[in-house]
Amino acid sequence: MRTRRIMTITAGVSAAALLLSGCGGGGDDGGGSGGGDGDMIINARGLEPQNPLIPTSTNEVGGGRIVDLLYAGLVSYTSEGETEMEVADSIESEDNKTWTVKLKDGWTFSDGSAVTANSFVDAWNYGADPENAQLGAYFFYPIEGTTDDGTFEEGADGISGLNVEDDSTFTVTLKDPASDFPDRLGYSSYFPLPEAAFDDPEAFGEAPIGNGPYTLDGWDHDTEARLLANDDYDGNRDPQNDGVTFKFYTDPDAAYTDVQSGVLDVLDEVPTSAISTFTTDDQLQAFNDPGPISTNVTIPDSLEHFGDDEEGKLRRQAISHAIDRGEITSQIFDDTYSPATDFSSPVMPDYSDDIEGSDVLDFDPEKARDLWNQANQISDFDGTFEVSFNADGSGNAEWVEAVTNQLRENLQISAEPKPFATFGEYRELITNRSIGTAFRSGWQPDYPSVYNYLAAVFGTGAGSNDGDYSNPDFDAALVRAASSQDEDERKDALNEAQTILFEDLPAIPLWDRNSYGVAAQGIEGVEMNWQAQPTYHTITK
Amino acid sequence: MWRYIARRLLQTIPVVLGSTLLIYAMVFLQPGDPIVALFGEKPVSEATRAQLMAQYNLDQPFIVQWLLFLKGALVGDFGIAYSGQPVSELIARALPVTFQLAVMALIFEAVLGVVAGFYAGLRRGKIFDSTMLVVSLIVIAVPIFVLGFMMQLVFGIQLQWVPATVGSNTSFTNMILPALVLGLVSFAYVLRLTRTSVIENLTADHVRTARAHGVPDGMVNRRHVLRNSMIPVVTFLGADLGALMAGAVVTEGIFNINGIGNLAYQAILRGENPTVVSVVTVMVIIYVVTSLLVDLLYAVLDPRIRYA
Repeated sequence: MRTRRIMTITAGVSAAALLLSGCGGGGDDGGGSGGGDGDMIINARGLEPQNPLIPTSTNEVGGGRIVDLLYAGLVSYTSEGETEMEVADSIESEDNKTWTVKLKDGWTFSDGSAVTANSFVDAWNYGADPENAQLGAYFFYPIEGTTDDGTFEEGADGISGLNVEDDSTFTVTLKDPASDFPDRLGYSSYFPLPEAAFDDPEAFGEAPIGNGPYTLDGWDHDTEARLLANDDYDGNRDPQNDGVTFKFYTDPDAAYTDVQSGVLDVLDEVPTSAISTFTTDDQLQAFNDPGPISTNVTIPDSLEHFGDDEEGKLRRQAISHAIDRGEITSQIFDDTYSPATDFSSPVMPDYSDDIEGSDVLDFDPEKARDLWNQANQISDFDGTFEVSFNADGSGNAEWVEAVTNQLRENLQISAEPKPFATFGEYRELITNRSIGTAFRSGWQPDYPSVYNYLAAVFGTGAGSNDGDYSNPDFDAALVRAASSQDEDERKDALNEAQTILFEDLPAIPLWDRNSYGVAAQGIEGVEMNWQAQPTYHTITK
Repeated sequence: MWRYIARRLLQTIPVVLGSTLLIYAMVFLQPGDPIVALFGEKPVSEATRAQLMAQYNLDQPFIVQWLLFLKGALVGDFGIAYSGQPVSELIARALPVTFQLAVMALIFEAVLGVVAGFYAGLRRGKIFDSTMLVVSLIVIAVPIFVLGFMMQLVFGIQLQWVPATVGSNTSFTNMILPALVLGLVSFAYVLRLTRTSVIENLTADHVRTARAHGVPDGMVNRRHVLRNSMIPVVTFLGADLGALMAGAVVTEGIFNINGIGNLAYQAILRGENPTVVSVVTVMVIIYVVTSLLVDLLYAVLDPRIRYA
């Protein structure tokens, strides 16, 4: 499942729509369909968590959706991706570099201990300690005192950029200014931990104690995790039901069957076998709306004929114009994907739909051929354009085949898919830069901002910049966005950064995965958030 | 007899050693770095990666990994899965579920297969026989997942006689449908095997002699025909228990059963060596033990066979 779980991160999670905003109030007993004892427990499809339920060890959806409900961070997000203060009372900075975090009074963990500044600082230090080998450590990299991958040097006793002032105040010093730093703090790696966690992390990971809207009632491995609403919780995500039970399915077909027969309430995925019929199936409610997960084809600079020069630019533009995105999203994905309109996604709160240069995404085979011929004047292309992908990710082979077919037809060149058997092999070759072809890439945002799509993937030296793209103008635009205090100015800088990307095309944007899924009859309040996940706390039945 | 059992058990040692080495080599040769895959498309932290490689012995040459595995396996310690749980716990959770499923399937195929095959053999060429031959041909020809989805749709969703999936509740009624599906193909083989065997024995000398002595028909059929026809069937059923347990992957997926097949399948996808090899080792042992039991059963069925 590890492989599949990464597939789920990049090639998609789930999700759906803004449906019937239900919510009969926290005390509603479920109107008869909630089970014999009057408790309204929502049965949602889950996946067996691949790691202990410690926020910094969780980097996949199965554990992530549970951890998100068990803990409350400094900030929380609305389903549209707006940031709201949760445990934090204020997060302020004069220079966007040194941030002072003040906590609200009265927050406690479900074991009764108070949520203090130390709960956060100790948790972050635990996550960044290389000895603990936490997969979520990457999120600490902006903070002073960590390496580029977010861990601190072996032997250090913590992240030097964190400073506890008193029980309810701590400061965070960043390496570089970031005006959107508070917006990042809702990600699970930044959640607090009670002291009990550090005594015996192994036992804690099996039975975590959090401060979020739900508590963990039980976790039967490979079967289900039962969450109950936390009565002591007084944050932004007030549970409208009495609990959520995540039932684990390894096969989405079985889960889909259970939604049809009413055993399962919410499924944030649709099996391939039902993809063309689920929107018309009257046994259930269907969701299918734009989502945040983008798919690109990255073309590394190091590829012959695709260097950082006029020829490379012409060829990249030619390829972008030669792909009929709409045909593939409707023919292969049955409209569960939407053609890309920029490098981010329409569900981001700071998205723009009229960025200069975005017409390079329009399908125009004649122009494509023309651009390609111009490039051939500079230097003749007689090789094969290959697109690598991992064949263990479902659906990859189909669309890569379709893209290379279109390139072959529209550019009259030789283009071939290049499959790799496992995700591990594929990522290894990309990570050590020896893949030697264009390759499938994708991004699911860590926090709701266009900035995340741009900085993490295309910033010079950024951790996920697998194509080694580097453009000083683009970096400068990002810095302007990160240090700007004004919302409009920030958005202008982000748009400018995207315009530069549309010229250089370090990656060819293809499409965004829709947030799609199904719910049983009678379920209300299913809303898909900016992370392509149902907002579990609003669901009622 | 006891010396025979001891010798057979001793033979399992090279079998287990060889099969684990083979599996270890195959998992080891699988391309790609499972630890890099853990990070998804996020940057890989070298410090974290080194820590995890050491934790799972992945930094050792594969023969050392194998020896370390054997050392642990001897005392029942199969190592730790990537999720941080001991593999022995994963197996202890999944094995009884699959065992229940396989035994239910085995009983179903044995009882129905033998009864139907016996009567088909006795009434060779009649309508019952022809019907059974056609039915078993269809069952063998249609892939198991088609039958699985079809029966799930009809009995689970439309008629609602049984739950469509199993999930956490592995009660007898919940497991009937998956057990039927799992045992269906073997049922067809048992039926055909019994039928052929019965037809053969009906013309055997001792059966003709018994009839000539005036032994009643029913007793001849039960004592002399059926019992002698059971030898090939028992061989098949014994070997089939292992096959059912190892081959339940598809059925477990369709009905969402958290058994050993699903566990192995998921572990292969993740490149989780300790889990894959441990599951295979356990399956090999089950296979060896059931085939030993089958061989011992021969002696009961056929007095001519004696083990020295």
